[in-house]
Amino acid sequence: MLLKGDRVFITGMGIVSSLGSGEQEHYDSLKKNRSGIKPLSLFPLSEGNRHPAGEITGFEWDRSVPRTHGLALAAALQALAGRSIIPDAVIIGTTTGGMALTEELLKKGEKRPDCYRYHSTSSVAEYCAGALSCPGLVITVTTACSSGSAAVKLALELLRTGKAGCVLAGGADSLCRLTYYGFNSLQLIDPEGSRPLDRTRRGMSVAEGSAMVLIEASASVPEGAVAEVLGGGLSCDAHHPATPHPEGAGALAAMGRAIEDAGIAATAIDYINLHGTGTRDNDLAEAKAIRSLFGEPVPPLSSIKGATGHSLAAAGAIEAVICSMGIRDGFIPGNTGCREPDPDLKVSPVLETTDKKISTVLSNSFGFGGNNACLVLGDPLAPRTSPAVKAPAFFEIMAGACVTGAGDLAQTIASLREGKNCGGTLPLADISKNLPAREVRRLKRLPRLALALALDARNAAAQDPASIYFATAWGPLSETYDFLTKLYESDEQFTSPTDFVGSVHNAPAGQIAIWLKATGANITVTGGDYSFEQSLFAASLAAEGGEILLVMGADEHHGDLSPLFDGSVRAATVPADGGGALVLKKTGNPAGPCIAPLFFENYATSPGAIASLIRALGGPDSINSTYAAVFAGMPGGEKASCRKQLDEFLAETGFTGPVIDYRALLGEFGTVTAAAAAVAAHFTKEGTVPAALASGNALHLREKRLLMVGLGSFVTAAEITA
Amino acid sequence: MEQLINELKEKIIETLDLIDVTPEDVKEDDPLVGGKLGIDSIDILELAMMIDKEYGIKIDNKELGQKVFSTLRTLAEHIQKNRQG
Repeated sequence: MLLKGDRVFITGMGIVSSLGSGEQEHYDSLKKNRSGIKPLSLFPLSEGNRHPAGEITGFEWDRSVPRTHGLALAAALQALAGRSIIPDAVIIGTTTGGMALTEELLKKGEKRPDCYRYHSTSSVAEYCAGALSCPGLVITVTTACSSGSAAVKLALELLRTGKAGCVLAGGADSLCRLTYYGFNSLQLIDPEGSRPLDRTRRGMSVAEGSAMVLIEASASVPEGAVAEVLGGGLSCDAHHPATPHPEGAGALAAMGRAIEDAGIAATAIDYINLHGTGTRDNDLAEAKAIRSLFGEPVPPLSSIKGATGHSLAAAGAIEAVICSMGIRDGFIPGNTGCREPDPDLKVSPVLETTDKKISTVLSNSFGFGGNNACLVLGDPLAPRTSPAVKAPAFFEIMAGACVTGAGDLAQTIASLREGKNCGGTLPLADISKNLPAREVRRLKRLPRLALALALDARNAAAQDPASIYFATAWGPLSETYDFLTKLYESDEQFTSPTDFVGSVHNAPAGQIAIWLKATGANITVTGGDYSFEQSLFAASLAAEGGEILLVMGADEHHGDLSPLFDGSVRAATVPADGGGALVLKKTGNPAGPCIAPLFFENYATSPGAIASLIRALGGPDSINSTYAAVFAGMPGGEKASCRKQLDEFLAETGFTGPVIDYRALLGEFGTVTAAAAAVAAHFTKEGTVPAALASGNALHLREKRLLMVGLGSFVTAAEITA
Repeated sequence: MEQLINELKEKIIETLDLIDVTPEDVKEDDPLVGGKLGIDSIDILELAMMIDKEYGIKIDNKELGQKVFSTLRTLAEHIQKNRQG
């Protein structure tokens, strides 16, 4: 939805990696072809598993938060460079969140929930938003190794809408046992350190780091602009959970979309920053995709992962910063570690950092789940035409599905009509009833919930979605728990590669893509209790006109981990899990009910968020004439403050329609909002909210809408229109 | 050797949770990967971990893995040889 036609510029950058801190240390290291990959010292390694990694030695941070949070804030503060600017939104990619700390706590059997308060991946972006006093939208992107680039793409789209003027975007990940032993169990680690594109390369080096960019929308080139963000492209391989498509089909699609989005020809690209992890499969598939897109000659290209190592969610952001420096200062970074380029690749990297004017750069990031994100960055002073203004579009709801303790959507609706509570945990066999047993043998609870929801929604809509926006507050807890348990039981000798691949937050969305052959954008967001709202916002930013998409959320209840991590689970009387899914069509002319994200503010940094919400919805009169009922999301762990916020909303608006506390009805779990959205969409299609939910009298909606309000740490709103 | 092969059949089924497969379904000379058992590259890595744990034999790179995990028989032979050696 491009409303203003402004251009988008990077005006501040922060970077921390195994090469150092700040731009200068990175330039110096790259210039000397120095690698930051070295023996790991952050935690003790078991015998026979001692491989080098891209560790940041001597990094100091506030130890009251996990290392990833410290890395993210360090990069964010660099990006602000002392300016007093407050970003309108924060969009950060991370895959491990507080895992490095959580692992140690679990190892010593720590049972106090407060110790785990920074476990969630969402807490990284929230911590930065708090430190920078950002009052607005926060999105946590968790698309594995493409997270950092995907975050920049979403920021670009948000700025293009004109709904934000300045966004902090980037990625952060610290080293931890999960990723270190996980990649090792997949035999993807090069014992000599990563040597991307080298003939004898044997894999990657796991690393850590963070990079953040301050991105601003402006009609003209702002002072201090380092680079222009010209475009971004997203795709999914829909091929395999952990191995790239052998021909690089997904990589090719993402690169093509990024170049198209930038409004340039492929021939304008004068440098490609490769994903280039150093694994045999990645480098081969990426080279094939590049040759197929560019033909001859292929633009100069290189991977910096032989220098930095592979910092997972940070990698795309780190590389965006290095590319921006290259554009501003006129250099191409060298492909550190590669001595003899692999002739099978049929492309040859720039081996040493070379002074050269580059004005349009393509930066690639690919991840587990086949999640791909590519960015095109350009010289801000190069002549450009302003992007075209697109017409507004709507998300028409084609069909919905949900899973609650009561069963599927039909069973949930039937229970609600009888005034019954639907919260609970369905037996795994019930969740899996429509899934072929052999094909899901490796999938534990969350991916099965997600697949069941996706297939239900797809079948109900009789439409195949091209892109998937998946929300989860906690990710695959069973796989994470089982991975760490096996690791610790064997004195860190053995673990399960299957559990590692499954433990990644975006693994369920990757599975769905494989099943539905959905090769469009594939974005997993993890925003705690506001995950579904974030996925709806992400979808509104990245979906293409006319596209069919799946927007959904799911969480599993895990007996050990859920109560440790989630205060609302502790406050609940019965354990609950499930989720919801909507098949949507992005269209200018909807023929039925639609859903739209409306509002997202951070209550911690914007205490006037309720008043702000009321203003955003057009004031009390408009709210009363527009909405028939409010679906209120009030996480049990924050009940008192939610109550206070709701009272303020009702007092200020004089709203007298039913207020449906859906967590009390559908269960306390992070993405229960997705189930509530499916239920609300169902009522909207029927035109009635049943009596049991509307103070004893069936509520006929007529032309009125349902308002979904999220309360607590964040105040959010979405509406479902008839 | 026969005993080892039978033992491996049980362990493979258990490790990979091949719910509807019986030891008789696993044929010694059929390709392990891509056959009707539905075993793929991640399963092979899971089996490599199991072999290391149960027999103390490391199969920790793809080239070796491709040879050793060609069939159940090649796997048993590799274990037999490295156990004795």
